[in-house]
Amino acid sequence: MGHTDKQMKDALSADEQALLNTFLDEHSLFYGPDPAIMRDHTIGPRSAIEDELLQGELDPHALNLVRGRLHAALDETYDMVEQMGTAPGAKWGDLVTAVYTATGDLSSISPKGVVVFSGVCHYPLKFIAKYWAKDPTVGLHDGDGFIHNDSRYGNIHNTDQSMIMPVFHEGEVICWVSSTIHEGENGACEPGGMPAAAESKWDEGLKMPPFRIVENYQVRRDLLTFLQNSVRDPKLQYEDVKVKLHACLRLIERIRAVIAEYGKENLIACLRKNIEDVDIEVRRRIREMPDGTVRTHAFIDGTLRENVLIKYNLTVTVKGERMILDVRGSSPEFVNRSINTTVASLKTCIATAYLLYIWPDLPHNMACFSAVEVLSDENSLLDSSFDAPNCMSLIPLFKSFTLPTIALAKFMYSCPTRYTAIYSSHFNQPYTFIYGGVTQHGEVTGNFCADINGNGGGARENRDGEHAVSPCFGYMCDTGEQELIEEELPVLRLVAQHLTKDRVGFGKYRGGLGYEQLITSRDAGFWGFMTGGTGSLHPSAYGLFGGYASPVYTLCKIREVNVFDTLKTDPRSFKFDLVELMNEQAIPGAKYGAYDMGMTFEPVQEGEVYMICQGAGAGYGDVLDRDPNLVIRDLEEDLISHETARALYHVVYDEDSLVLDVEATRAARAAEREARKRRGKPFDQFVAEWVRAEPPEDLPYYGSWDDPTRIYAGQGAGRVVMARGAVTGVMMPNPKDVRIAELEAQLAAATAGRG
Amino acid sequence: MKRVAVDIGGTFTDCFVVWDGNYVQRKALTTHHNLALGFNEALDYACGDLGVDREALLSEVDSVRYATTLGTNALIERRGPKVAVLVTAGFKSVLPISRGRGYGEGLDISRQMDVPNAARPDPLVPIPMIRQVRERIDYKGAVVMDIDEDDLRLQLRELVDKGAEALVVMLANSVVNPAHELRVREIFLEEYPAHMLGALPIVLSHQVAGRKGEYVRGMSAIMDAFLHKVMYHGLGTLELNLRNSGYQRPMLVVHNSGGMAQLNSTDALQTVHSGPVSGVAASEHLAMEAGLGNVVATDMGGTSFDIGIVVEGGVKHYDFNPVIERWMVSVPMVHLVTLGAGGGSVASYDRMYHTVKVGPESAGSDPGPASYDRGGLKPTVTDTDLLLGYLDPENYAGGKIKLNPRRAKRAIEDTLCDELDLDTIEVCKLIKQTVDANMANGMAAELRARGYDPGQFTMLAYGGNGPLHACGIARSLGIGAILAPPYSSVFSACGAGNMHQMHIHESSVFMVLFDSNRKQMFSDYARFNEIVADLESRGREDLTRQGMRAEDIRYRLELDMRYGNQRVETAVVTDLNRLASLADVLKLMEQFHTRYGDRFGAGSQAPEAGVRINTIRVCAYVELETVRFAGIKPTGPDKAPGAPVGRRECHFVGIEGAVDTPIYDDSALADGTRIEGPAIVVTPATTYLVEPGWQFRAAGQGAVWFNQLAG
Repeated sequence: MGHTDKQMKDALSADEQALLNTFLDEHSLFYGPDPAIMRDHTIGPRSAIEDELLQGELDPHALNLVRGRLHAALDETYDMVEQMGTAPGAKWGDLVTAVYTATGDLSSISPKGVVVFSGVCHYPLKFIAKYWAKDPTVGLHDGDGFIHNDSRYGNIHNTDQSMIMPVFHEGEVICWVSSTIHEGENGACEPGGMPAAAESKWDEGLKMPPFRIVENYQVRRDLLTFLQNSVRDPKLQYEDVKVKLHACLRLIERIRAVIAEYGKENLIACLRKNIEDVDIEVRRRIREMPDGTVRTHAFIDGTLRENVLIKYNLTVTVKGERMILDVRGSSPEFVNRSINTTVASLKTCIATAYLLYIWPDLPHNMACFSAVEVLSDENSLLDSSFDAPNCMSLIPLFKSFTLPTIALAKFMYSCPTRYTAIYSSHFNQPYTFIYGGVTQHGEVTGNFCADINGNGGGARENRDGEHAVSPCFGYMCDTGEQELIEEELPVLRLVAQHLTKDRVGFGKYRGGLGYEQLITSRDAGFWGFMTGGTGSLHPSAYGLFGGYASPVYTLCKIREVNVFDTLKTDPRSFKFDLVELMNEQAIPGAKYGAYDMGMTFEPVQEGEVYMICQGAGAGYGDVLDRDPNLVIRDLEEDLISHETARALYHVVYDEDSLVLDVEATRAARAAEREARKRRGKPFDQFVAEWVRAEPPEDLPYYGSWDDPTRIYAGQGAGRVVMARGAVTGVMMPNPKDVRIAELEAQLAAATAGRG
Repeated sequence: MKRVAVDIGGTFTDCFVVWDGNYVQRKALTTHHNLALGFNEALDYACGDLGVDREALLSEVDSVRYATTLGTNALIERRGPKVAVLVTAGFKSVLPISRGRGYGEGLDISRQMDVPNAARPDPLVPIPMIRQVRERIDYKGAVVMDIDEDDLRLQLRELVDKGAEALVVMLANSVVNPAHELRVREIFLEEYPAHMLGALPIVLSHQVAGRKGEYVRGMSAIMDAFLHKVMYHGLGTLELNLRNSGYQRPMLVVHNSGGMAQLNSTDALQTVHSGPVSGVAASEHLAMEAGLGNVVATDMGGTSFDIGIVVEGGVKHYDFNPVIERWMVSVPMVHLVTLGAGGGSVASYDRMYHTVKVGPESAGSDPGPASYDRGGLKPTVTDTDLLLGYLDPENYAGGKIKLNPRRAKRAIEDTLCDELDLDTIEVCKLIKQTVDANMANGMAAELRARGYDPGQFTMLAYGGNGPLHACGIARSLGIGAILAPPYSSVFSACGAGNMHQMHIHESSVFMVLFDSNRKQMFSDYARFNEIVADLESRGREDLTRQGMRAEDIRYRLELDMRYGNQRVETAVVTDLNRLASLADVLKLMEQFHTRYGDRFGAGSQAPEAGVRINTIRVCAYVELETVRFAGIKPTGPDKAPGAPVGRRECHFVGIEGAVDTPIYDDSALADGTRIEGPAIVVTPATTYLVEPGWQFRAAGQGAVWFNQLAG
């Protein structure tokens, strides 16, 4: 606000201010995201009718019957979307259908659905109710359907598209329904809908605030054409708009049947009670926890364009029935990088973490998180401004699925009731190949592979983690069948799934392993890959109670060679193993390279090999406490090397027969415990030697160091320090400019003195 | 007609004998060590009823047919050989990873959602028994890399040295080019010829499943190899027993596809779940015989509630990737959904919503419901049924199990009454209402997801608890007519007695009927026709090998079709067995359009995105003579039941206070008997609960109808 504006505002009387407000309301240039909606993750107050019904006599058992009917309808519509959907995300389970109260609070989602998708839909829904319903040029009618994808109005990222429809009864909105799919391609500057290269929101492709695309239950073809014209895959856009619409229509049909059978009062009461009952239960569970504060943090090792260290700060405080999540002190936002997230998306992901890893028995609705207070710095990585690009918000958001579990495990460990196992970190990077180009069938496409659904599970308090079990954001998702993928896309996996030996979070219980993936293109026209992950320099998933973190992972490439020729002419030189390929580098003429996991879209030639690993879960407990028999089993299954068994687990056995030497193992472990003591230092000495007042000067560092009210950005002379309340975005230089400057400096040094 | 049909279950061997006009049902305990003993016992009982000796009977019957759950049990108990697997190099971990979601297959949703407690089942093939073959074929069938035969021989040797007792070969894209899988077998037989002592069976994945999808095909082949021994040992014993007892014809084995074949033409995998599938087949047969129209078949037992769909007009509902035990496989199996709801389902307090929750936990049969008095402390549906007055504590399960109402009452009081602030009977009513609604919701989701309105269906209720809960379920679902079929206690065996000999062959294809990019219609009719002809020929060979006459063989062509790049594959049954023109292609697309619209809603079709065939499937079958179920619809004049054999105070949902309810014995099953609810009819095999507002009508052959009365 300019100085003059401020003076004028100060001078206005209350009446004048009201007049001004009315004028501004009537002459709004642009209906941007509404902070009043976007910053509020709590359940709203009861509507008059909800209050009347809930104040009155309710039969909880009748409501339970209504609930059962709604769940059956949500289950049915989930299956519909999964079956009918075209997007890979829909085929492999990245979708949801949901029902909301008339005032827009999320009441229930399809049992198998991805919670986050619906957890953000109440934001655009409330926007529709607040702005479009009253706008004479838009309005809200029976048969309307609103499409939406812009995360600034409430979404995880713009690659997810939702259809939102009001359900009218006797001329009034009685509830809302939605259907959401991770669509992938959305016309961004890179194919696949998750452009790491986006430097502004204008690079992110379709940015749909909620708008009416369905009138009188029919899709408007002019608007659909506009959307098709804006993306690389018009077929996908066409089909999935219809799919989402018909899932909503089916849901509406079922809801009307519920009203006919049980009456609108029971429906309204049920939808509201779903929320209030869960809210009450969550508060009870918080009360059950010991009071206290747990501080933790995570580091992100890059922006997908450059390697920097970015802090995600988290403090959890429990006091009575209050739980406060404080993410202040995290990195400032990057105004020209795509990894920022809105606070609404952040909260939804944390809420999902609660449902996945803390209280999986809770019904899935927004009340699971309504009782939790969240503190954040505006204009930070985790609470970015509306202008900051956020199409790769997955980078901090995926951490939001797992970091709270680390903090909350400390509380849950002492609780009288276990709602699930104490869980170390699930792997938390969107490691998969994103692709784009022209398929062998002549279709233009851009999307991602279903391997994103195969993150390794964290170790548990009582057992090892499961290998490649689910995405960190969901359950019962699917990594797919390679034969089916190859039929549709011009790719061939030389390694489809190969568990990553020795690359896991070790511990008393180890995490579940990820797997290697070696991919190349075949029979394509133009084709290319990208990867959008961090965690190549600093581990992603952290261990619990002494367990190791997941390791770091790199992207490896074999370029300037057609491996299909090698497979014909010298097949034995090709090893179906990433490590062997990279260590031996046996293909003549090939260019081998290892890179971080943040690769912007890169065109590939047929037979060039791109190699990544799906990540592993973190460990739990001390490696020296691991049952030696479990170590032997890992050896039998070729999950670890002898070196790991000996040097890390300190297990003694015969390498040929794998027969365990129990006594020698006991002795070896005792010796290592003694060695640890010798390596250890008194705490004060450790602090004196280790702790620094500020981040090292040469470290490109973003976020608080120790004091969460002082936030650092950058390195060396260019580093700035911001105070809490005055955080501003950071502009990063173009990596190419940086590289050019480095090369010019080298050139200048090399040519110095030549005259 | 003279025929024997048998369903060998985990506990009972059910026998259904057709002897000209006489139909006899009998049971005996399954004898796992030698299945023939239980079979003989059940058959001897039936022979006794008919006054014929076993050898005379077996020498005269036209066939002996078996359905069995032996395979399912063997999987649960992990009773099978040590299976080794060879996979394409780079696919080593496909099986252990099980598409990620494998941890939750076969579990209820609450356990699927609990990721921190996720646990994959103990594998049928442990990781050390999986080896790689250095080879690769692409999606079109082109060889990308030849087999490294030296390395293969090494891998084979190591697997044999590790004690492999059966070998599975699962190579990528083998369904489009099986050359490498076949070559692996050749090499294997060179190294380990069949005449060698201890020769191992080898299973090639493309011969077990014809569809793409390496994981599900691999699991199918593994399951086949795993079950091979136990199934063939079990069934072989039976066949030998039949030979020794004078039966000279081939023994027929029911397949989970809904058909059957001779033992030597049966893959072990095809027999899994054949018992429940036979129940659906029996439902289909009854529906046709009695002109019932659409039928939803329900089998409510002690721990589960199976749902099958039979639709008028020949639309078949298959699962192409069913979950068997804890693994997804690739086999066309008659669609069956199992809900965790049965007499043993445990009722608990739902603190969140201040109501009662029923299942998915089950008390099973050990310790069983609290009223079994075997140490069970948790209240179950059976306990509820007892306290509501529906069950006779002295005559439960034909008097084999004495129920203790005090135990049941204590269990409910201890766990539910205080929390719910309701008395015991009110809690029981709530449990009854909830479990019925759960089952109704499960059925509704099943039917509606396929585009059907439950109101257009007749419900078939069989299984031990089916006729007890049928009225409650149907009311909740909006179904007004229920048939408790004749021979319901041996219903699967009855279904086996009515199957046709059938083989299904299918082929994965990438066949674009309408290419929306190029705006072109499919015109390679020769390719389509060639594939269909090949599949027909394979079916014909199967059947003629078993002695069928070629001219008796019928073919049903089914196409799995989809729009654009969707996942859905809607099965379209078409009478177009060959394509000859654009009009034929358009007709196929129209048939698909109609079926898809029925399923997902008018206007949901998207031919603009292109139309594809993914799978071509041919069912080759021979229609055999079936058992006649005449008069199972009440037609004659109604007659009043005999005097009640007793009266009990019963409680019903929606009715205040106890209701004096008459009890009838099996004389009420006499054709034409009509009883207005409330009433209970108790027979040695089943308890029929006629709720208020419903009417009981007995028809021919022991069939019972429940009809909801108007108002």
